[in-house]
Amino acid sequence: MSTPNIEFLRFTTHKAFTHRLVLSTLTGRPVHISQIRSSSPTNPGLAPHEISFLRLLDSITNGSSFQISYTGTTLTYIPGLITGNVGGASDVVKCVLPETNRRGISWFLLPLCVLAPFSKAPVNVRFEGEGVITSATDTGDISVDTMRTAILPLYEQFGILGAKMELRVLQRSCAGPGGKGGGGVVELRFGAQVRLPKTLHMNRSPGRVKRIRGVAYSTGVSASNNARMIHAARGVLNALVADIHVAAQYDQAPLVSSGDKSNPSGKKRTGVGFGLSLIAESSAAGVIYSADVAAPSEGGVTPEDLGKKAAWQLLECIQQGGCITRIGCGTVLMLMAMGSEDVGRLRLGRDVVGTEDVITLGRDLKKFGGSSWGMRDCEDDETGDIIVSVKGIGVGNVGRKIA
Amino acid sequence: MATLLGKRKRQVKDSTPTERINDGESSSSSEIDAQEVFRRHFEAQFKPLPVVQKIVEAEESNDEDSETESEWSGISEVEEKSIEVIEHTDAESRMAAMSKEELKIFMSSKPPKSTPSVSVIRDKSGATVDDEDGSESANLKKDLALQRLLAESHLLESASNPTTMGKNRHKATDLRLQALGSKGSIFKQEKMPIAHRKGIISKQNEKESTRRREAKENGIILERAKMKEKRSSEGRKDRGVGNPNVGKFSGGTLKLSKKDINDIEGPRRDSGGGRGGRGGGRGRVKRGR
Repeated sequence: MSTPNIEFLRFTTHKAFTHRLVLSTLTGRPVHISQIRSSSPTNPGLAPHEISFLRLLDSITNGSSFQISYTGTTLTYIPGLITGNVGGASDVVKCVLPETNRRGISWFLLPLCVLAPFSKAPVNVRFEGEGVITSATDTGDISVDTMRTAILPLYEQFGILGAKMELRVLQRSCAGPGGKGGGGVVELRFGAQVRLPKTLHMNRSPGRVKRIRGVAYSTGVSASNNARMIHAARGVLNALVADIHVAAQYDQAPLVSSGDKSNPSGKKRTGVGFGLSLIAESSAAGVIYSADVAAPSEGGVTPEDLGKKAAWQLLECIQQGGCITRIGCGTVLMLMAMGSEDVGRLRLGRDVVGTEDVITLGRDLKKFGGSSWGMRDCEDDETGDIIVSVKGIGVGNVGRKIA
Repeated sequence: MATLLGKRKRQVKDSTPTERINDGESSSSSEIDAQEVFRRHFEAQFKPLPVVQKIVEAEESNDEDSETESEWSGISEVEEKSIEVIEHTDAESRMAAMSKEELKIFMSSKPPKSTPSVSVIRDKSGATVDDEDGSESANLKKDLALQRLLAESHLLESASNPTTMGKNRHKATDLRLQALGSKGSIFKQEKMPIAHRKGIISKQNEKESTRRREAKENGIILERAKMKEKRSSEGRKDRGVGNPNVGKFSGGTLKLSKKDINDIEGPRRDSGGGRGGRGGGRGRVKRGR
């Protein structure tokens, strides 16, 4: 099918898996990823969530092809055009996640939202099945609330309108037993397609935190947990900021099939738990710090501990400084690199730049044909932040070239 | 049961029974003292307490001097002295509550605006009062309010009702309706005795004529007098399709009144060839031939 002399970009291991596939799709460069968990004797190859992500990519693109080796340790991906759901029977693409999925839904949503502005048609995806975890997870994924309140507002500064974005949580779910599976239903509607995203200049001071908002969620456990988490978090934060409001959200636990062969219509409740998502808005426009904590699936934590932990995590995030946090900088840096051929500047905390994710992303971007980042110390004040200059490669939206 | 256990432990650990009883006595006396202090404080602030109740309480405390109960007070006394409980019930314990609008916006499926609007100020009735809001819709709202103020402020000048409520509210509604294009005022009385109406109309005319006359005498130029609309022309327009334009058709004959004939013929003139007043455009009935 493929011509023999395709030039693959070669990568190893499963790290930054979604970033690489997204960059490949946006730039149109085929990738070859090898040594995916090849050293693991028990679970070599691609994990269930990675397979699900490949399926998702397949369903929103046209003409992409994947080849996975027999053991699953090698993947070749030839990207197609990002079409969104154009001419489909229904107006949403359904993405069913298997029960064995351990990653939160934001693991899928973050890269999907980076792809969505470059799509030909609106990207409407509905995640369902027995593997959708909307809460934060132990694997480090953020909750769907943080995704909506802290990540999606970042797009507005690229000229991607927030009015056409929607992230509906139709059913909440925490991680199921053993951290596996959930039962949530989440729908992303991303109708804000652009020809070319603007670049970003966030090199000024990140300002001071002026308000703290948040969502406390309890799924299938007593709603009083919400109040207890909020109380504990406010106990830490009240002394620092006056304007604190945390919404409480209680839901029933999702019903999924019990997996009992003798009783196929049997249902059970899963994905029980609670968590807290906090965001801190700064006086500078577009600067949002966030924190996310959820109860582990095995339980054994009190809501008070969790609330305190979330508050401390938020404080730590604010302490790291910069205009974009660790969870948001992947999105922002990628959009800047793919956007118009200007130099954008971004002020990041030293600890944020120093993470493996950011460094890997920078190297990957260079490999995919982007120009290297310029980094210099911020001399305005004593924070030790770093200003990263990113030049866009003007990929833009292929589907909207003629406009 | 747990309390019983605690008691036993204490018995073993603590002291001889005599000491214990002493303890109990002292505690009960201190308790009474405390109650006395509280009572005095209460009576100082409010009215004196009824005496009967006090006696009953005192008897009860005397009864408590029996062995089993005195242990209890002994424990409580120790606890009272050693543990100081301070409870903070300030803003911290208040539940987080966003305003309804804010909560709705924040919890909706859309991403919340990175720069949300300024906090909303509420008036007494709970309606929102927006202050410095530079958005387009807010400006439109202010514009409308200003226009209404300009158009309706004269209502407030009346001495009897200088507010926007009551009669003035109805008047304002009437003005707005007319501005929107309603045919007449809602205050116009439709049915009244003809003599009454004639009186009103003649009074109006009289007023108008005196005003004009006085103006003329004083050399003031007024606006041009409004031409009176002809009612008759309105009446003619209402004939159905296919019916004759003049006269009255009944019993197979078209009956023309004198007036109709006059209209058709037009005013008598010496110069021939002039056309009649009526029927200029229509030309159904031709004159003379």
